[in-house]
Amino acid sequence: MSDWEEFSFQGIGTDWAVSTPLPLPAPLRTHLLDRVEKFDGDWSRFRSDSLVAELAREPGRYEFPDEAAPLGELYRLLYRITGGAMTPLIGGSLERLGYDAAYSLQPAGPPLPAPEWESALAWSGTVVAAGAPVVLDIGAAGKGLLVDLVAAELEAAGVGGFVIDASGDLLVRGAGPVSVALEHPYNPEQAIGMIHLDGRALCASAANRRAWGDGLHHVLDGTTGQPVRTAVATWTLADTAMVADALATALFFVPGATLQETFDFSWLTVFSDGSAAYSAEFEGTLFT
Amino acid sequence: MRPSSPTSLSLSRDAFRNGLFAGIAGLSLAGTVAGCAPSSADNTPGTAGAPPAPSAGSSSLAASGTGYKDGTYSADGNYVSPNGTETVGVQLTLAAGKVSDVQITQHPSNPNTRKFQGQFAGGIAAQVVGRNIDELNVSKVAGSSLTSGGFNQAVAKIKSEAQ
Repeated sequence: MSDWEEFSFQGIGTDWAVSTPLPLPAPLRTHLLDRVEKFDGDWSRFRSDSLVAELAREPGRYEFPDEAAPLGELYRLLYRITGGAMTPLIGGSLERLGYDAAYSLQPAGPPLPAPEWESALAWSGTVVAAGAPVVLDIGAAGKGLLVDLVAAELEAAGVGGFVIDASGDLLVRGAGPVSVALEHPYNPEQAIGMIHLDGRALCASAANRRAWGDGLHHVLDGTTGQPVRTAVATWTLADTAMVADALATALFFVPGATLQETFDFSWLTVFSDGSAAYSAEFEGTLFT
Repeated sequence: MRPSSPTSLSLSRDAFRNGLFAGIAGLSLAGTVAGCAPSSADNTPGTAGAPPAPSAGSSSLAASGTGYKDGTYSADGNYVSPNGTETVGVQLTLAAGKVSDVQITQHPSNPNTRKFQGQFAGGIAAQVVGRNIDELNVSKVAGSSLTSGGFNQAVAKIKSEAQ
């Protein structure tokens, strides 16, 4: 894919690149940008004009776009499997730790556990209802979900083969194997392994980025509001980027083998002592 | 800069210039600092009396790399690990305004941290090791999903506070 055409843009606060054998027509490019912008306008808790911001200001019953249905189901499942640790209600906890819309990076008080799903939120299909203001954060799956939505737009437009790279979260469809380095969790110049990606999504999560303050980082345990410490980097392979993205975060709370009982996916977890655990598909991908 | 800013590098007086600070901050945020916990707060009283930065705007400084003085610079970063506060040293060599070399110096006080840092500064040991991506034949890199425009905003904010 070295001679492929690349369409690069900024979306939901990160860099995107869509690679295709032929250049994407201008109207399709515009359409993709509009789709990404709409997603941001619906789901971003960093924008005062988003649906999520409205829900945080004014409790009530909100109709979200179509993608809310699979997203809500996925979050509900992961909420149960992780015993409440992984929750879309973590937004308030993140804000407390300084990861707020203004990026103050200043803790505003002691860690704040996320509210219980049952008492705070009714999410059924595309309808989200809350009796009190809640800060919804779909960060654990949102980027992957948007990768899937961009892929759907490409497929609807008849683009048969493509690679979507949302700053390290990847989806390859109809494009033959793409060789991908697995970034070293502490040295972006290095890789700890290499994998050939074909027809699936590969997502990663790491605990060492977006780090600030007294050892605070962005992967929080919803039951305590405290950062998680042991796993330092995770990778997942799944059919959709939404699932791969969410499970890359879930691996910080639940062993991969446990998640495999519910999800059809492959996983790799690197721990803070430099050891690694992985499922069969990652066998042979690590440098040793 | 405020004590809990994410980059937390305390620079020696001669090394502290706005452009250089920006360069180091970027490296730190890119995950260069070794250790099993994020880099953490460090006050920078030594920088208070530093000479003011050149008049160029901070964003253009960061983008163009101009205003960096060649040489080798050292800075310490602190982070809080489960074992307590630890320090890691970063040494940068600048040539023609660009970073040509990065060295991580380990001086942890806690034996467990020493063990972890040793493993990570030398690549991941135990079961996995690092290889330079440049030397691999790959099309893409899958890593931390967190390259973030918002985070860059935070860096810009720190830079302005560091002036």
